Amino acid sequence: MSRKILHVDLDAFFCAVEEKFDPSLKGKAFATGGSPEGRGVVTSCSYAARQHGIHSAMPMIQALRKYPELLVVRGHYKDYTDFSRQVMAIIRELTPLVEQISIDEAFLDVTDLPQEAVEIARDLQKKIYDTLGLPCSIGVASNKLMAKIATNIGKSRHTGSNYPMAILYIPPGTEKDFLAPLPINEMWGIGPKSAERFRALGIEKIGDILKYPLPWLQQHFGKFASDLLERAQGIDNRLVEEYEGVKSVSNEVTFFEDLGDRQLLLRTIRGISEKVGRRLRHKALSGKTVRVKIRWPNFETITRQITLPQPTDQDKVIYETASTLFLKEWKPGKKVRLIGVGVAQIGDDYQQLSLLDHSYEKEKNLLDALDALHERFGKDAIQKGIQSDNYRSWKDA
Amino acid sequence: MKLTVSQAQLAHGLGVVSRAVSPRSTLPVLNNILIATDEGRLRLSATNLELGITCWIGAQIEEEGSITIPARIFADLVSTLPGDKVSLALTVRTQSLNIRCGTSNFDIKGIDAQEFPPMPIPDLASGVELNVADFKDMIRQVGFAASADEARPVLQGVLMEINENQMSLAATDGFRIAVRNAELSNAIANPVKVIIPARSLGELARIATDGNETVTMVVPQDRGQAIFHMKDAELVTQLIEGNFPDYRAILPRTFKTRTIISTTEFLKACRQAEIIAREGNYVIRLKIQPQEGGPGAVEFTTQSEEMGSGEVVVDANIEGPELLIAFNVRFLSEVLEVIGTPNTILETNANNTPGMLSPVGDESYKHVIMPMHLG
Repeated sequence: MSRKILHVDLDAFFCAVEEKFDPSLKGKAFATGGSPEGRGVVTSCSYAARQHGIHSAMPMIQALRKYPELLVVRGHYKDYTDFSRQVMAIIRELTPLVEQISIDEAFLDVTDLPQEAVEIARDLQKKIYDTLGLPCSIGVASNKLMAKIATNIGKSRHTGSNYPMAILYIPPGTEKDFLAPLPINEMWGIGPKSAERFRALGIEKIGDILKYPLPWLQQHFGKFASDLLERAQGIDNRLVEEYEGVKSVSNEVTFFEDLGDRQLLLRTIRGISEKVGRRLRHKALSGKTVRVKIRWPNFETITRQITLPQPTDQDKVIYETASTLFLKEWKPGKKVRLIGVGVAQIGDDYQQLSLLDHSYEKEKNLLDALDALHERFGKDAIQKGIQSDNYRSWKDA
Repeated sequence: MKLTVSQAQLAHGLGVVSRAVSPRSTLPVLNNILIATDEGRLRLSATNLELGITCWIGAQIEEEGSITIPARIFADLVSTLPGDKVSLALTVRTQSLNIRCGTSNFDIKGIDAQEFPPMPIPDLASGVELNVADFKDMIRQVGFAASADEARPVLQGVLMEINENQMSLAATDGFRIAVRNAELSNAIANPVKVIIPARSLGELARIATDGNETVTMVVPQDRGQAIFHMKDAELVTQLIEGNFPDYRAILPRTFKTRTIISTTEFLKACRQAEIIAREGNYVIRLKIQPQEGGPGAVEFTTQSEEMGSGEVVVDANIEGPELLIAFNVRFLSEVLEVIGTPNTILETNANNTPGMLSPVGDESYKHVIMPMHLG
């Protein structure tokens, strides 16, 4: 029996929330995001704005050049998170098989429900709209891949300046034919860059993929080739899985005043790294992924992460990785509002020892000694010279 | 250029050289294979500037000449040709190669052979003769221990040292070291000490055919290259510059616990454990348990949070104190696959110092592995 999978995607989510707080925005061309002076980007834009060629992720300054009357609304992220949680709660009333993939998107497996899938979608859309006033589009299909594409195509068929609130159903058995005429960039996982590569090889439409034999595809796309062939036929056996909240240890600092001083920023990162390291060691855990979070003064927030060859619980490794990630994003003088460091992909503490480099063992001995002193005499008993300056003038969040 | 070759030989020759083609090179001629007449034979060459491979095949040559042809197109085409005789003819004016076979007739555009990087010509008299089968065996026992980490180029290579008639290969990725010694039949005058990319040695092992054939290694002075010459093929590789770690200082000299264990049983235990261990961190724990007045046993255990756990016990001859030590199971499997004797010696000191594996009754191979630390 084929499955019934829904993909729910809130329509212009941030804008829809803003309209709730300021009804005068309704029908107007407006966008949320950073200010044009601060090199901000469009995080969401109303459908009226889209008619003027504005789209999300576009630099705000460019958006204003395209349409100078565009209203720029400062984003209220806390509200978005709150509403997102409420939407997900409504979805979870329907089924526990929910996989949230971003703040405004989720998959649902409703195979076990007796109603027709489209009917379920219609009811859900209505309920979210009636309860929260938020419009959404839903793709209905037999798997995640097709449901996601259904939403995208459903939305793209909509024209006009109001919300699409699309529901598109791709019946089981019609997947391949549905996909065949679609441009290659509609395939989930193929971004603009890879789409270029496909086009260069003469693959313009998703159906074109099926014209080539697997070995040829393997030559060009390597391991991805057999997936590609399956996807081009609309085959996707992945389950809707509750995404276990990433187990991670992290900490962040919000500055009282936006800070652009390299040394102070790095010292903050060092301080947070030490805190994270201490917490990991305290729980006898290690993590393989180091992550930094940076919030710019315009509230735009980015996270960057890197996976290490071996898990770590050492301040030094965390700091060195986090500061490298940070410095890739930061330009001298650029101000920062918040900075966070986290370690994820947590597991048991293990380490492949090295024959040539004994820094792990040395650092471990040092940290063991420091942790023991902190345990006995408190946090201020001993600290690294580099941290001895008082930097408590910033709020520790 | 005008000649006839056998389709099978041409396909084989292209298979030999095509691994040196750099498919994504910005220099178009490096995507090509050089085809040239060479003293009554047909020469095929490819290079990515780090590694170059040449192969000679028999041909009936009517007219001398040379051209370079896109490697993929040529190889794909040759592999599908129907007949057994292939005629190749160069049209100099258009620099295109006409390929005829049975009723197939193709014209492929090439690039002037002058643009192809010249391959060095080895002075074979100054070379060292190595037995192909022995040398391949050495490469197989050592090469895999080299690092794949591009950040540490020296560790991507295999250190080759020859003094008089003593030769050694060593490779390390920082976590393990493989060392293989051998005796040459003839002593050489000038000692050799070079770091050869492990990948190049791997390719050499691939193209060197077994039998009693020899390979002649030439290291021209100050060229940063090594050339391996065989009857029908030649491989040129750039050498890696830098200081190879002083591995002899790292190899432990004494051990407290000495375990002699069947190589197949040891490998079987590792393979079984890996089924679970690969789901986690590849950790295998060895509980080495000597027994008073009799053989002891090694208990191999593995566990993964998601998959479960396992335990295999193998009898072993153990001298010395009991020890619990953890290793990366892949490191163990890889060395056990090349040990080559029915029994293996595992020598250890403590759970945070290196362990050494070597074949029983064969002093020429040593493999040292650093354990894993478990918190």
